[in-house]
Amino acid sequence: MKKRSMMSMLLALAMTMSLLGSVTVMAEEETEAVEASTETAEAAELNTVILKEADDSMINTYTLIAVNPDAPFTDADGNEVSDVAINTEGAAALIQFLLSAEGKELEANYGQEEFGDSLFYLLDGAPSYEGEIAPATDETATIRLSTTTSVNDSGLLGAILPVFEEEYGYTVEVQSAGTGKAIAAAQYGNADLILVHAKSSEEEFVNDGYALKLDGFDSERLSFLYNYFVLCGPADDPAGVAEAETVLDAFAAIAEGKYTFISRGDESGTHTKELSLWPADLGITVEAESFADYTDWYVSANAGMGACLVMAEEMGAYILTDKATFLTFVANGGVME
Amino acid sequence: MQTALQKAIELILSGDRELCNILLVTARMSISSSLLALLIGVPVGIWLGSCRFSGRGILVVVNRTLMGMPPVVCGLIFYMLFSGVGPFRRFHLLFTVNIMIMAQVFLIAPIVIGNVETYVSGIASSVRDTAKGLGLGTARMLMLLANESMYQILSAYLLAFARATAEVGAVSMVGGAIAWKTNVMTTAIMQYTNRGNFSLGIALGLILMTVSLAVNVVITLLQRRFIQ
Repeated sequence: MKKRSMMSMLLALAMTMSLLGSVTVMAEEETEAVEASTETAEAAELNTVILKEADDSMINTYTLIAVNPDAPFTDADGNEVSDVAINTEGAAALIQFLLSAEGKELEANYGQEEFGDSLFYLLDGAPSYEGEIAPATDETATIRLSTTTSVNDSGLLGAILPVFEEEYGYTVEVQSAGTGKAIAAAQYGNADLILVHAKSSEEEFVNDGYALKLDGFDSERLSFLYNYFVLCGPADDPAGVAEAETVLDAFAAIAEGKYTFISRGDESGTHTKELSLWPADLGITVEAESFADYTDWYVSANAGMGACLVMAEEMGAYILTDKATFLTFVANGGVME
Repeated sequence: MQTALQKAIELILSGDRELCNILLVTARMSISSSLLALLIGVPVGIWLGSCRFSGRGILVVVNRTLMGMPPVVCGLIFYMLFSGVGPFRRFHLLFTVNIMIMAQVFLIAPIVIGNVETYVSGIASSVRDTAKGLGLGTARMLMLLANESMYQILSAYLLAFARATAEVGAVSMVGGAIAWKTNVMTTAIMQYTNRGNFSLGIALGLILMTVSLAVNVVITLLQRRFIQ
């Protein structure tokens, strides 16, 4: 009896292992396929390339906003809530650091080492901070930063925050999601500051009273970094967007020829930007109803930037992305590290 | 390019600090939540399966409905309750491991209850007869039932543990997948997938599967001792 049970145990083990093994083989095949495609792409890089960039209408500005502890917070039923715990001192310290000379240098140089090019540029006339930054106390040590995937996935925060944490003793808890969700988290009282890139949503956030003007700054919205949105697509460019005069013409050409386009579809900053670039008569908005007639070419992916780029590469589709994320994507041979 | 398996092995051998942290948080979360679910689920399951009282049928149906609760809905409920504007905001639990454990217990306990209840209701009458014949009281009868159901209870625990390690909807919602704090295996896999790094996602998946294989072997061996 004992022998038999041992045997069956071994059998079960062997079966599970072989199952794991087959998964690995599948994964291997997958990587081999990727390998093959990168090999052919070695000469021509990935099939997805930047087709349209550095257009003035494609500037992608990142903004810091501290959350107002006295904002008109409401709970799920719409009742007012007054005693929401917001770490304003912590948020102020992090914002002061990001706008200090030391922080700005880190931001402007980020990417030089790895990609040979800065991924973000400092905005002309960006607000500066020259005063003292208060070190952490027991009450202010934990800072909740709600931000967008592009800032986090490009590695910018990973390069800057450890310096700040070590110097001043804070712990920054980063939640990253599309701009829409990042702002919603702040409205539910779950963030002390936000770092986002969608002007219209930011202004709405300020107008609704959720933003706090910090001492020593002129505005609630502290725009400080920018890079460019870029329109990417297959290298052979069937829609001819590279020759289009403006980005708006390029988008019109994609829509006209019904070439596959991957939309983030998640109310992120990139999605918001994309919506503003389609010809107005198409009427594409965040509502699913609005693009129901275009499903043969308009793909609303509802996924992060990296996953969407992989999808565009697979489908030979056009896609709008920020340059930082695209460069990271290319540098890693089609995956985001 | 590396294969996912190579990546997995390399990750483990390199003793990557972030991976170790993710594994620790995963272990802390899933062991606590499955054990708590077992502590709640076994007594309630035995009680529901063996005692006859009015309203028992309703409780069983309610429990079976809770067994099918989508994790993301559970996560959303806990998120709203413990949000900065939610009714339980004073506890400051959002984005901590403790609230992840609470949400998981809420998800898993009904599964343990349902499993134990189903088995116990099948053997309850014969055990009750035996207990009567031996002149045992209610308390000892329940102890006897628990002893008789040990095999089933261990199975239920395995199910609870598997659910705890594999679940992602609720924990990503209430935990926020914050690095070094609340990021567990499944949420890390989600993050890598969202960034388009599929092979690292598979590598983490392989590690997770290997860990649950080890747990299953140990518990199954333990279970064998109860049938012999």
